[in-house]
Amino acid sequence: MDTFERIELRRFVGRELLLWLWFESEVFEATLETKMHGSFGLWLEGRLVLSAGQEVTTIKGTIPGQHREAKEALLRGKMPDLAAIHLSWADHDATLTLKAETLGISGLKLPRKEPDAAPTGEGTTAPPRRAPRRRAAPAAAAAELAASEANEDLYERMRVTREIEGIVEALYRDFLALRLGPAWSEVVVPALEAWTSGRSVDADRYGTARTKALSAAGTTRGSPRK
Amino acid sequence: MPALRGSLTYARFFVDGDAAPHDFREKYMRAIRLRAMKPLEPDEEELERSGWCKLAEPFELELHYNDVFCNEYVALGFRTDKWQIPGPMLKARVREAEAAYLEKKGREKLGRKEKAELKETVARKLRRQTAPATRMVDLVWSMNEGIVRFFSHAEKSGANMMELFHKTFGLRLVPESAYTLATRLGLSKAQESAWQEIEFTVLAKEEAS
Repeated sequence: MDTFERIELRRFVGRELLLWLWFESEVFEATLETKMHGSFGLWLEGRLVLSAGQEVTTIKGTIPGQHREAKEALLRGKMPDLAAIHLSWADHDATLTLKAETLGISGLKLPRKEPDAAPTGEGTTAPPRRAPRRRAAPAAAAAELAASEANEDLYERMRVTREIEGIVEALYRDFLALRLGPAWSEVVVPALEAWTSGRSVDADRYGTARTKALSAAGTTRGSPRK
Repeated sequence: MPALRGSLTYARFFVDGDAAPHDFREKYMRAIRLRAMKPLEPDEEELERSGWCKLAEPFELELHYNDVFCNEYVALGFRTDKWQIPGPMLKARVREAEAAYLEKKGREKLGRKEKAELKETVARKLRRQTAPATRMVDLVWSMNEGIVRFFSHAEKSGANMMELFHKTFGLRLVPESAYTLATRLGLSKAQESAWQEIEFTVLAKEEAS
């Protein structure tokens, strides 16, 4: 199998990642955890699109994964195409849409800049802004200031973007550890089947088995909190 | 699609190769200036062209060091100009020109070469009366990570950007996918061979049986 085939014939892995995130966010009541990030909130919010071939089901709503049509679509063989996700970590909230087949991100709304702790109440989070100038700056200096502010904005936006991507990547690492090992068929698939068909999933039992599998795969972390 | 404001929509590309040769900033700056956008002219044969511009500023083509380098990031705009003359308009004008030409020459038919030349003349005339469509997509290359974030999901635009990126920096880009991200995160030998064997998970068994 060449690289092209490894990419093109395995794009469904992205769909299964979304399915697993959806499943875990429901089973663990929207509180997931990675070794690197500790626990954080993650849930599907706003839009979920599932498909099988030309057949597409789009579900919109506050928690689209909990709509009856969502699980029915899974039972009819559809898999997630894209999902709008809400992430809540370290006092920050962000929303994004993750496309399964390319892992492309769209509509990423970054957390709002928090007011600085400075007494004036103005400014942004790091990197610090410059102090206001006393006199109107000449055109060249004003342009330089504008460019510098644009750079600061870019730097800050990229920093937060990387933080969010880091969470998604850590989740993907855990998913791969399960997906590419015996735990997928022994632990995850039976739980997914129960969850899809509306039977209850023992979150503690699943969490313990999953943690054990991740430890065996070398991706140790604690059980997600319920 | 902007990198500096609003929500972010982007695709990631992994840089294949060593991104930081000796005195890379100067080298890259020269290479970027060499591939900066050159606007299309009506009399040129090229109907579409791409080049670099300042991030978020499609008409800023004179690129300065501070516009491009921001700490570990290389920030650029990927601009594409394309002549977009509506097909029906071109057809109608060509018909008019053909009729006028035949009348002038006192003939009834045009040769294939004459037709093509006439069409090109008409298209050029129309291009002089209009301006090419300009599209710009922001791009941020994080050199520490070896990742390019391209603020569009359009396939064609991404492919054109990859080509220009390679011409400019001599580096290939690999689009992110489940597999490329997995290898980037690190697959063990066992996982690599498991990847080749994995099959789609079927949850619809009960319905099927």
